[in-house]
Amino acid sequence: MTEEFKVPFPMEFGDYEDALKMVGEPGPRVVAEFSVNWEMIKIYCSMEEDGNPSFWDEDYARKQWGGIVAPTGLLLSWAMRLQWHPDKELDHYFVAMKVPLPGDTLINVGTTTEFHRHLFLGDRISVEDRLISITEVKKTRLGIGHFLTTEAMFHNQKEELIAVQTNELFRYYVPETK
Amino acid sequence: MTRTINFKYWDEIKEGDTVTPVKMDVPFERVILDAAATQDYFPGHHNPAYAKHQGQKAIYLNTMAIEGFIDRVSTDWAGPHTFIRKRKMQMRSSIYAGDSMTGEGKVEKCYSEDGRNLVDLSIVISTQDGPCVPASVTIELPRKAEAS
Repeated sequence: MTEEFKVPFPMEFGDYEDALKMVGEPGPRVVAEFSVNWEMIKIYCSMEEDGNPSFWDEDYARKQWGGIVAPTGLLLSWAMRLQWHPDKELDHYFVAMKVPLPGDTLINVGTTTEFHRHLFLGDRISVEDRLISITEVKKTRLGIGHFLTTEAMFHNQKEELIAVQTNELFRYYVPETK
Repeated sequence: MTRTINFKYWDEIKEGDTVTPVKMDVPFERVILDAAATQDYFPGHHNPAYAKHQGQKAIYLNTMAIEGFIDRVSTDWAGPHTFIRKRKMQMRSSIYAGDSMTGEGKVEKCYSEDGRNLVDLSIVISTQDGPCVPASVTIELPRKAEAS
């Protein structure tokens, strides 16, 4: 029996030459749908079983940082799109998802993130990212495809730099004869 | 339930010190909770058929879950007064529903730079099948004298 799934998001398809044209082009600046909120922080820390009082204890967090702060691992989530919106098309905010290539799937490979300041409750970030590089076709144990490197800058609503993240992902397909 | 919170200070840390290991099971429910908690509904994190289509054996934790676990290994050991300045991680193999993961590490370097007291940690996240995610984390900590 074949299990079925619905491809859940639009992907751009094309060849390596199409993709190379996007290198260096900045994506649109996106203001996060979510403001930094304690509920999402608690759900995330619950998933991680992270009892750091910077995320849970208002008294401790106020004395240490000036208030409850967001976990650094939750950075990307503030800018995630909603699954449905009354006025916006289902789309991806991150440029890596929009690069035209042959692969029908992808997997994240690694990140490097430099943090400049904390995010506090009520903050709202904006993100701007761009494609830095695309490798030629590679074969890995998962499949055949290209590695994409992007760089994203995260600012708060005061235009203060929060973090810079370099992300590497593999856009690939699984050959039938694998 | 009583929890012990550690507070380490920059001037108490030595190169070669061991970062206390942290172990956490990854049942199917945690992978689903991960997707919801991080608002990351990429189907490899919640749809077993899609994960198999990707060449994966099961649904797997996403980047933010692994980043957060690396950060937790760092801050459970060094204390909640830690500021994570930089984290670099490479996901060499996925962490699947049904796995158990452990984060272990050690102190690579203690130094001051631009007035900051910094410690470089090397951390590896492994499962029962071996190492999956090597990482390096630079943390900033207060000196003991600053705390008193």
